[in-house]
Amino acid sequence: MSSDIQQKPYFPERIQVACSQCTLGDLCLPRSLDAAGVEQFEHIVNKSRPIQPGEHIFRAGDKFQSIAAVRAGCFKSYVIDKNGEEQVLGFYLPGEIIGFDAIHEKTHKANVVALDTSSVCGLSFESVTDMARQLPKLQEELFRVMSLHISELEASAADLSAEERIASLLCSLSKRFASRGYSAKEFNLSMSRRDIASNLRLATETISRVLARFQSAGIIRVNRKKVAILDSDKLKELARRDTC
Amino acid sequence: MSITTSFPAELITKYGLAGPRYTSYPTALQFHEGFDAEAYRRHVRYSNDDLIPRPLSLYVHLPFCKELCYYCACNKKVTRNTQLAELYLEHLDKEIEMQGKLFDRDRQVIQLHFGGGTPTYYDDIQLRHIVEKLSANFLLSRSASREFSIEIDPRTVDEVRIAHLADIGFNRVSMGIQDFDPAVQKAVNRVQDEGKTLALINAARKSGFNSVSVDLIYGLPLQTAKSFEKTIDSVLTVRPDRLSVYNYAHLPHLFRAQRMITSEQVPAPEVRLQLLASTITKLVDAGYVYIGMDHFALPDDELSIAMENGTLQRNFQGYSTCRETDLVGMGVSAIGKVGNSFVQNLKDIRDWQAAIDIGELPVWRGLSLSGEDRLRRGVISAIMCQGFVRFSEFEQKYGIDFNDHFALELKSLKPLEEDGLIELSEGSIEVTPTGLLLLRAIAMKFDEYLINDLQGKSYSKVI
Repeated sequence: MSSDIQQKPYFPERIQVACSQCTLGDLCLPRSLDAAGVEQFEHIVNKSRPIQPGEHIFRAGDKFQSIAAVRAGCFKSYVIDKNGEEQVLGFYLPGEIIGFDAIHEKTHKANVVALDTSSVCGLSFESVTDMARQLPKLQEELFRVMSLHISELEASAADLSAEERIASLLCSLSKRFASRGYSAKEFNLSMSRRDIASNLRLATETISRVLARFQSAGIIRVNRKKVAILDSDKLKELARRDTC
Repeated sequence: MSITTSFPAELITKYGLAGPRYTSYPTALQFHEGFDAEAYRRHVRYSNDDLIPRPLSLYVHLPFCKELCYYCACNKKVTRNTQLAELYLEHLDKEIEMQGKLFDRDRQVIQLHFGGGTPTYYDDIQLRHIVEKLSANFLLSRSASREFSIEIDPRTVDEVRIAHLADIGFNRVSMGIQDFDPAVQKAVNRVQDEGKTLALINAARKSGFNSVSVDLIYGLPLQTAKSFEKTIDSVLTVRPDRLSVYNYAHLPHLFRAQRMITSEQVPAPEVRLQLLASTITKLVDAGYVYIGMDHFALPDDELSIAMENGTLQRNFQGYSTCRETDLVGMGVSAIGKVGNSFVQNLKDIRDWQAAIDIGELPVWRGLSLSGEDRLRRGVISAIMCQGFVRFSEFEQKYGIDFNDHFALELKSLKPLEEDGLIELSEGSIEVTPTGLLLLRAIAMKFDEYLINDLQGKSYSKVI
């Protein structure tokens, strides 16, 4: 796992990015900016080359310089605990922002690795904060995104059963896929059941057992890593939270 | 689907061309050495990552035999030197450990099969040791519905051993009979007593085996329709749950053992047809359901029920009712099937042992299935197991227009339709009762590798 630690940063080249043309325009940071604001924003964005599954874009301990907006694919963030076990913190889909945890101590707290062939837009945090001073709408958006993160974390810290946790995750993913123009009812997960288990703090076999139970109750249908939601009302009821 | 009245002898002669048995698609002929141990490990990892990983089937190949049966085309080693078999067992232990480490431990083993060779070449203590080793390295299901089977050579067991095998954990047995006629037995060097064999089947029932299956072979030297009918009548007195009636393919240029059989003694094609016709008639009259290919089962057997429900699956042992599993093959030349891949172990015992000695998985070759392979595997499996192909099912799953994607294949099926093997419509292919006897000939039309390579290989005859 340490072989690619020495890698170059992912955002070295300045490939001009057209946020105005991007299909994630409605989700990403510049979404509430006017045309002039978007144009200004485009100047601080670096687009990365394709990132292969298993490649890291941040390592815990890296000096904090940039945040990243997922353009395509899927990432997971994780830390290694004192027993050497991987603890998955979260998953990031296109349009989501990675790296806010590093603002506080100016170093990245988590490792962030691609689960699929992916790409990201790199944003120098210094430039983002500079620009946020000039564009209040951008500042508002930054606060909104950070707040969303915090509320998600708080919700997941609640004392939930395995069923509730797994139903919540499925609801959340369904909603996130739908807002990206994908099907809310049928999606392919890039993460393994081990990743999901680690993220939800459940045993790996519990994930499969609960999903199998949902499947025999006619709530979902699972084929390898593909999930089809057959009864979303029931799933929401099981999730018992407003992630859906 | 059921067998009809008249036996279509002329069609069987017409379509009695070479063809694979499609226990897998693509067939083992497509496996290549570019698929190595690392590729296998990668496929296993993917399969562990599935949201609900498939349960496991284990196949253990035990290749030793005390004597050579002249018809045999299996990978086996004939020896009375038990030290070789001991050495093999030590290596098998190590392979079980290596394989066990690859698979997540929450994946239940719902199917286990010991094949050979002659698994019962080993004594009960050795067989128990293998099962215990498997149990220490895999999560063996404790459910009564698990299918743990072993192939038995009746010459190597008695009623006490049968009881031991049940105690070790086997609940299904398949008994090699082939033919009871003494002259035929002598011609193939497999002399076994009829009365003793039948007594063993009854003993298996008493020992609690859920299912007893019997293997017969037609087309053996000196067989006549009359002599084989006698064998069948005798077998029917103990009413095995399942019967496999295999066709003997005389290919002495490929299988050294078969050179011991005088070619002139092998029944002529018209006798073979008679043998097949009378076998089918007899078994169907006795109340057995024809499952397809070489397999028959009692109407209340799971195979017959699965056939009725359309949940039948094809596997390396023939047909199965299990939901889809990943198959782990252990032992020399064993074939596995994990996710979208096939893998086969080294086929020479010394090579297999040498790989294990250096701590490497003894992978010889394999194959990663392409999307096209998976599509065609689905179609071929539908033909072999369900007896029909619904185009819409594949159009949804693979995003194709079936009539367009398979335009040439469907065209090549026209003569089969005219001969009454299938019924073609805008949205489906239905196998007719006549076609059920010639499943291979229908499936072959969808075999991309065969289409690309029509220069006739040495397959066994379809019938």
